[in-house]
Amino acid sequence: MASFRRARRTVAAGAFTTFCWITAVIALFALAAIFWSLLTQGFGGLNLAVFTQSTPAPGSPGGLMNAIVGSIILCALGMVIAVIVGVLAGTWLAEYGRNTPYAEAVRFVNDILLSAPSVLVGLFVYDVMVAHVIGHFSAIAGAVALALIAVPIITRTTEDVLKLQPTALRESGVALGTPHWMAIRKILWKSAGSGILTGGLLAFARISGETAPLLFTSFGNQFFSLDPLRPMASLPQVIFNFALSAYDDWVRLAWVGALILAGAVLAANIIARILTREPRRS
Amino acid sequence: MNALNTDTFEHYASEVPPEAIKLHVQNLDFFYGKNQALHGVSLPVVNKGVTAMIGPSGCGKSTLLRVLNRIYGLYPGQKAKGMVMLDGENILDRKVDVATLRSRVGMVFQKPTPFPMSIYDNVAFGVRLYEGLNRAEMDQRVEESLRKAALWDEVKDKLKSSGLGLSGGQQQRLCVARGIAVKPEVLLLDEPASALDPLSTAKLEETIVDLKKDYTIVIVTHNLQQATRVSDNTAFMFLGRLIEFAPTAELFSAPRAKRTADYIGGRFG
Repeated sequence: MASFRRARRTVAAGAFTTFCWITAVIALFALAAIFWSLLTQGFGGLNLAVFTQSTPAPGSPGGLMNAIVGSIILCALGMVIAVIVGVLAGTWLAEYGRNTPYAEAVRFVNDILLSAPSVLVGLFVYDVMVAHVIGHFSAIAGAVALALIAVPIITRTTEDVLKLQPTALRESGVALGTPHWMAIRKILWKSAGSGILTGGLLAFARISGETAPLLFTSFGNQFFSLDPLRPMASLPQVIFNFALSAYDDWVRLAWVGALILAGAVLAANIIARILTREPRRS
Repeated sequence: MNALNTDTFEHYASEVPPEAIKLHVQNLDFFYGKNQALHGVSLPVVNKGVTAMIGPSGCGKSTLLRVLNRIYGLYPGQKAKGMVMLDGENILDRKVDVATLRSRVGMVFQKPTPFPMSIYDNVAFGVRLYEGLNRAEMDQRVEESLRKAALWDEVKDKLKSSGLGLSGGQQQRLCVARGIAVKPEVLLLDEPASALDPLSTAKLEETIVDLKKDYTIVIVTHNLQQATRVSDNTAFMFLGRLIEFAPTAELFSAPRAKRTADYIGGRFG
């Protein structure tokens, strides 16, 4: 009897492990397939012109400079807004608001925003900024839309990592006579720094590929532009427009853009890993 | 709310001459929301001496310690009623600036809590808040504090490396150094050795005995032998009440309250 039970357990354990293996392989295979198609389709089109020339008319030579610079500006502006709002809001939730009804309400709304479809965010910013405040498509509206998507992610991760900090660390800062806000700024943020940075990167990875909200807001621009009040090109929007076009050279450029986007997110992640790797013994 | 009446608790307290008292807890009640954790506690803390607080878990000794620097104030819902006189001033008074109070009454916690910065900066952190010392003065203050905490010889060559890289015992002595660097008058120790191995504990205890020359120390401990080794006076608490306060030798050799005798005799706790 006992040996039967043992045999059954061995089989069940084996089956479960195999199942885990298979699902892991499926997940990795999808990732590998994406990278493979990016590399095969996009790598051949990489050249200096991609970084030095703006998007061309069909059939003429050109690159993606306006889109690359545009994406950098949009993401940077969006992240500046999102990090300021998100880190402060997350800090407030973890350190001051805690379980008060207002904090619970903020947390609830934030969680809803976290899963809000980005097209809705785009539509909202379109209605407020494009249709009313500014009156036309602009880079700043795009940055605000991206920020709105990033804020809930950063708020959530900031709150979570601050809550993970030991109570005694917070108290020992305060016990030295440090005002609470200074203990937060100089001790807790530092101690939670790698977690907050990870949250920021997650948010960056998310918004760098967002297309839908940008179509309504920063719109796109065939020409190189640095003016935050004018429409601005961005990689996801160019990929979207070019990949669906009937022109081979545009489709090729779309793949190159996708490769650059993926490379940038990967690079940001690797840099963050290196920055947050600190020797720790305890 | 409580079926137990204060009258059902024995209470013995040795007299201390008023001029020897640094910190005087008077008739202190403490509440966690609606739960009353301390009931009319009165306790004199003798100047330049070590006062130990002992008692079973949940007796209120840590709560009492947390009132002495008002750290409980971080949490809305926690309230203290009564008086705690520090050099004749009631620190529970709303007008008292808590940051200044906490620079006068330092605290070391159960678990070592080095800040995520270098050993040097850990010690200098509190000092920078209150004093504008120049480089040389700060170096001297850091060295002096680390020496007093019996850590200097072990870290003098790596002051710039992270405090998180030290062993548990060293981290705890770093916290002591950080606490005394701001030159407080009173030092509160909340079971400072409970996370340490015997050797580190012995070192920390030596440090405490050394420190009482300059500081008034209140230590909460679960370890009765530790109380006898380091303290001059001992307070025994039970269910939020102070049962007995006496010179340590007296309290352990001839306890007056039956509950004290039972506790130190190992009959409960």
